[in-house]
Amino acid sequence: MKVRLPMLLMALLVLGASLTLTLSRYGYSFQDRDAIQAASSPLHWSGTDELGRDRTVRVAAALLIGLTGASLAGAITTLIAAAFGLLAAFSNRAIAALLIFVSDVFLSLPWLFLLMMARSLMPLTASPLETAVATFLVLALLGWPACARAVYSGALNLRNAEWMIQGHACGLRKRQLLRMHLLPHLRPLLLPQFLICLPAFLIAEANLGALGLGIGEPLPSWGAMLLEMDNSAMLMSSHWVYLPIILLVIVLLILESISTQVEPHA
Amino acid sequence: MKLVGTIAVRAGRTLLLLLAAALGTILLVRFAPGYFSDPREMDAKYSAVARTEMQAETGRSRLVNRILLDEAESWLKGDFGESRQYHIPVVKLIGGRARVSVILLAKSILMGWLLALCAALPIASLRGGRVLCSLPFTVLLAIPTAAMATACIVSDSGGPVLVLSLLVGARDFKFLRSLLEGAWRSPHLLQARAQGLPTRALVFQHILPNAAPQLYALATLSIVTALGALVPVEVIFTVPGVGQLGWSAVMNRDLPVLVAVSFLMACVVGVAGLFTSRSLTSEAV
Repeated sequence: MKVRLPMLLMALLVLGASLTLTLSRYGYSFQDRDAIQAASSPLHWSGTDELGRDRTVRVAAALLIGLTGASLAGAITTLIAAAFGLLAAFSNRAIAALLIFVSDVFLSLPWLFLLMMARSLMPLTASPLETAVATFLVLALLGWPACARAVYSGALNLRNAEWMIQGHACGLRKRQLLRMHLLPHLRPLLLPQFLICLPAFLIAEANLGALGLGIGEPLPSWGAMLLEMDNSAMLMSSHWVYLPIILLVIVLLILESISTQVEPHA
Repeated sequence: MKLVGTIAVRAGRTLLLLLAAALGTILLVRFAPGYFSDPREMDAKYSAVARTEMQAETGRSRLVNRILLDEAESWLKGDFGESRQYHIPVVKLIGGRARVSVILLAKSILMGWLLALCAALPIASLRGGRVLCSLPFTVLLAIPTAAMATACIVSDSGGPVLVLSLLVGARDFKFLRSLLEGAWRSPHLLQARAQGLPTRALVFQHILPNAAPQLYALATLSIVTALGALVPVEVIFTVPGVGQLGWSAVMNRDLPVLVAVSFLMACVVGVAGLFTSRSLTSEAV
């Protein structure tokens, strides 16, 4: 029951953002040259940025892009972690030790530094869409090690479970054991891992964007919108500049609340 | 004897991890687009012969084993190579900056721990309203480091130490609260509380000694958290530390500096993990 309220809030936010994008007369990259750094008005509810772009539309688009990207990246990370953890748990000791060592190599560097290094080494001339894909792909490809360790320890417990030994003794094939028994038992472990990834990826994207390594303009993103706060003239002209950060914190709190409430149920 | 063996195995593994991290960095940068671009090739003052020579030099340095050998040679010399953007030995670049970063990290981790402990101890002993009391820390965790740093600059209050302390404090509080909650409700502590033992004695004689192994592990986590946030904090506050140097090296594909910074960061994480793990002694005994 408790999980429903944050889920409902998130659904309302997504619905609101989708409606804003659909019903607004402006696109996220449309520049209204007559309303540069405009304050709140009936035309632009939360004002415009320094290029005259509608802030409400851009925040709505950033929310949808961020959530979609983080969800896809989270799904990829969880899949990689599941494959890696299962392989390590069901291999012999030497291969398991090697796989754990590989994950430890990734964990030996601070995550944001590793992300920054990998993201900055992507091609320099890329379209905004390509930068968005690159950013979330880097997050997906580097986010798995911690998750894989959790899956590994969970899968180790499952490997030694009595029903697993019984399944082996009954002559079930490895594929049957995996599909019919192991994966359903791993689901309660994988779902929290996926949910934990979402806020972590959104924060990482915002931090990368603030360092100039996030999604390219004119595609709106949390990171790029945080950079607006650097403009003191804009901060003086309108308090709506704080809208992206306030909304980002709300989204992260909702996601955090969903993940902490799902975990005990799992 | 067993303890020495365990320490040797762990130290060897940490060393292997460090080498793998350095090797990974080299490979990552080597295959990055634009790594071999040389701005001198665009300069009209160089003759065709000089340009051909430059291209030949670039061609020779494309080989991974050549890069590895050059790096190994510079490391053996002790200067960690020459920076591609500043044209000075990396060891000179890192020396002063490491001091700045270490002081920043030490202050932040200390303040973060104080904040987390001072908040977690009373909140863990509360009967109700714990979620509400923890709300400020939950909100702090939901604010990206870069946004927190920018907010500090905009409001002209606080600095890098405050941002890092708040981040470390919020992260540690989450773990400390659940750790102390469990300890506070353990049967032997209930017994001690029923007998009227003062809170100070409960904390210093029972809770903290029992939670020591988890606190050691949490110390490692604090270091990793602070190191992760070091880059955006130093870049936004323009602190001349290792994080800012790493960012500048990444942006300019400065391989020698990048490898040295990665190795340094991996060293800190690896050594912190090695020394803070109490399981080391428990495994051996």
